[in-house]
Amino acid sequence: MGKELLKTEGGDTLLLLGNEAIVRGTLEGGVRFVTCYPGTPSSEAPDTFFRLSQGAPYYFEYSVNEKVALEVAGGATLAGLPSLCTMKHVGVNVAADPLMTLAYVSAPGGLVLLSADDPGCHSSQNEQDNRIYARLGGLPCFEPATAQECKDMARDAMLLSRKLETPVLLRTTTRVNHVRGPVVTGDLPATPYEKPFVKDPAKYVPLPASARVMHKRLRAILDGLVAEADASPYNVESGAGELGFISSGVSRNYLTDVLEEEGLVGKVRLLELGLTYPLPENRIAAFLSACKKVLIVEELEPVLENEIRALAQTRGISVEILGKSEHLPRLGEFSTANVRQAVRAFVGQPAAVVDALTVPGDLPRRPPNLCAGCPHRAAYYAVREVYGDNAVYSSDIGCYTLGFLPPFRAADFLLCMGSSISTGAGFARASGKPVVAFIGDSTFFHSGITGLIDAVAYKHDVLIVILDNRTTAMTGHQPNPGVDTTIFGENPNPVDLMALIRACGVEPVKVNPLNHKATLAALTELSKQTGPRVLVAEYPCPIHARRVGQAKKTLPARVAGDPAACLTVRDNLACPAFAMVDGQFTINAEQCDGCMFCVQLSPDLKPGKKEAK
Amino acid sequence: MTRARIFFTGVGGQGTLTATTLLARTALDAGLPVTSGEIHGMAQRGGVVESTLLVGGYKSAIIAPGEADVILGFELLETLRALPMLRRGGFVVGNSEALQPVGVCLGRECYPPLEAVLETAKGFAAQVVLAPCISLAEQAGTAKAANTVLLGAAAACGALPFSVADLTRSIEKYLKPKLVDVNLKALALGAEAAKAGQAA
Repeated sequence: MGKELLKTEGGDTLLLLGNEAIVRGTLEGGVRFVTCYPGTPSSEAPDTFFRLSQGAPYYFEYSVNEKVALEVAGGATLAGLPSLCTMKHVGVNVAADPLMTLAYVSAPGGLVLLSADDPGCHSSQNEQDNRIYARLGGLPCFEPATAQECKDMARDAMLLSRKLETPVLLRTTTRVNHVRGPVVTGDLPATPYEKPFVKDPAKYVPLPASARVMHKRLRAILDGLVAEADASPYNVESGAGELGFISSGVSRNYLTDVLEEEGLVGKVRLLELGLTYPLPENRIAAFLSACKKVLIVEELEPVLENEIRALAQTRGISVEILGKSEHLPRLGEFSTANVRQAVRAFVGQPAAVVDALTVPGDLPRRPPNLCAGCPHRAAYYAVREVYGDNAVYSSDIGCYTLGFLPPFRAADFLLCMGSSISTGAGFARASGKPVVAFIGDSTFFHSGITGLIDAVAYKHDVLIVILDNRTTAMTGHQPNPGVDTTIFGENPNPVDLMALIRACGVEPVKVNPLNHKATLAALTELSKQTGPRVLVAEYPCPIHARRVGQAKKTLPARVAGDPAACLTVRDNLACPAFAMVDGQFTINAEQCDGCMFCVQLSPDLKPGKKEAK
Repeated sequence: MTRARIFFTGVGGQGTLTATTLLARTALDAGLPVTSGEIHGMAQRGGVVESTLLVGGYKSAIIAPGEADVILGFELLETLRALPMLRRGGFVVGNSEALQPVGVCLGRECYPPLEAVLETAKGFAAQVVLAPCISLAEQAGTAKAANTVLLGAAAACGALPFSVADLTRSIEKYLKPKLVDVNLKALALGAEAAKAGQAA
């Protein structure tokens, strides 16, 4: 989706991804400043802003991490510009420090934080529920469920934030970020919004005395917002009867479809919530009073359930409240299947019998794999050649986490972004075992560098392998501070990774991991040393190189000798270009990237022309 | 109103999401309400890509087991894996050609035969149509158009709430000009293959 997102007049119907709809919505809300750290399922929002950034009416940056992103956006809103900061759910943990004080300090120009949660852990290390952050940090919270709502709520979150001068949370989940649906656009604002900064330290500097005042001011804003939530068009009631359902977020979609298919529309009461913090307490109380029994349908934590139970108790409303159960667990995603069972149980119908085919459980799996030509494969192969199972491998977050899988098995533990160096250091100190920590270039800038400084300061015995593929590959090849090139050409201000490591107090060794002999020699030498050591394995991600037009023309590798003699290479590299055709090893010339790593490992493999099919 | 739940499955790089979006646009142009779901992320690294298209007023962008009116399988093994999503009396339209997963390449796992799909779905699906989409796409000019071959086959056998002519219009309207001809050829080859398969 391109320039139509920047069109001034509204009224178009566009088919948009949830994340693209959020871009349009915040633009309609007057956004002028956008920061982010990319991460699935949030990435298409910042990537769209980035792609459209040349000549656009906003400033955009891929910040070095989420904490920095929120702080930069925090500065922009203090300076008076409507600001947006985007990240995935676990990114909010990184940004939690500024976030917990941001609402005290306020957001004069308006600030929306997009938190893209990932129930079911499609591409994340946990499935935390960031609606709780809204409560903790005092941020009003919107939860869209469709592409149209992504657009509308993003706009209204920005407008509400501008009006109240307080940060607002736009909380999505994977299925909402990646829904694609029709969106009717509105107009972009005719004049750019700005709230000029006026110096007032007592208002903006949370020293203890002023922080207490700020906290009181924040609570007053949130208390005042209950009436707004009661009247919000995003909190919608329908139906009739003594049985009620309350739902928010993507669960609303499943519930609506199930009620329709079960013939319950109009026969039960339904309260759908879109502005979910603060809760529309009076609206909910009236709804509860009209029902005998209410089922609360929400993914992950019983956030609504607990607050609604407390509300019923406070208001003395006698109603049976049901929520989390076998059918509506705290774990994973919901679907129409489990919501159907929950609804049927609630209205006293027997469980639905699913009429579906079964397939063998032992079908070959298709785990994601490092791409053909990926330099990480070569780095992992070399490290295993030197250390085998004698080292403990501390991993980090990026494509290279796929080194977890055989044949590399190069991940023994992992906590979070940037943890490989520090957690590896702690493990080495506690166990006395050799530790190799793997970290990518973007992750190193994000939060690995502090681990390196700690390792130097306390002489932790850890070999750090920085897998520098010159981009942020996993989340879609976003630029990071170290990159040479972006889709807009050369990076004018690259941060010098080698100089940075040197300044921390380690003399790094740099190799091209696709040069096996040199990498092996460097690793062998480093394995004999102690203390913090850094190997920078630098080679561009082949997908990124192709995108920025820097890929070299190469020939594919081919089997020149005995195919049977290549099976060890096959098993040790597991390259997706390798194939068995009629029981014989071959290299798929279409898939082969021509990295020529495998030809260094076997005399039976040679660079060559495309094999005849 | 026409209501249909269509489940797409394939492997990263096969154009599964492109095909999903093209069908979504076709539905919108036909004036049908539409919602579609995609899972991004690890897919780029050769993993499974699943997406959904729900036409006719569904709110959910997901499909639960036993709910799909149509399974569009861009790869044979993934078509087999997705069969539990099919409703009784639904359509299966798939690519008969394989992309070996790494475990098969390494000789640790066995790729299931073509018959596994036919036999599993027999007596449950209204129709199963498998066509060699990659070969036909190469015939059309590029293996990358295998997704369009599959759409052609699906429309021709009546699995979709759209005709081959509807898809022709969408290809002309929404694909880059230089890709139109090859995709129209691919669409026609898919449609032919489906008709031949039905006759056989």
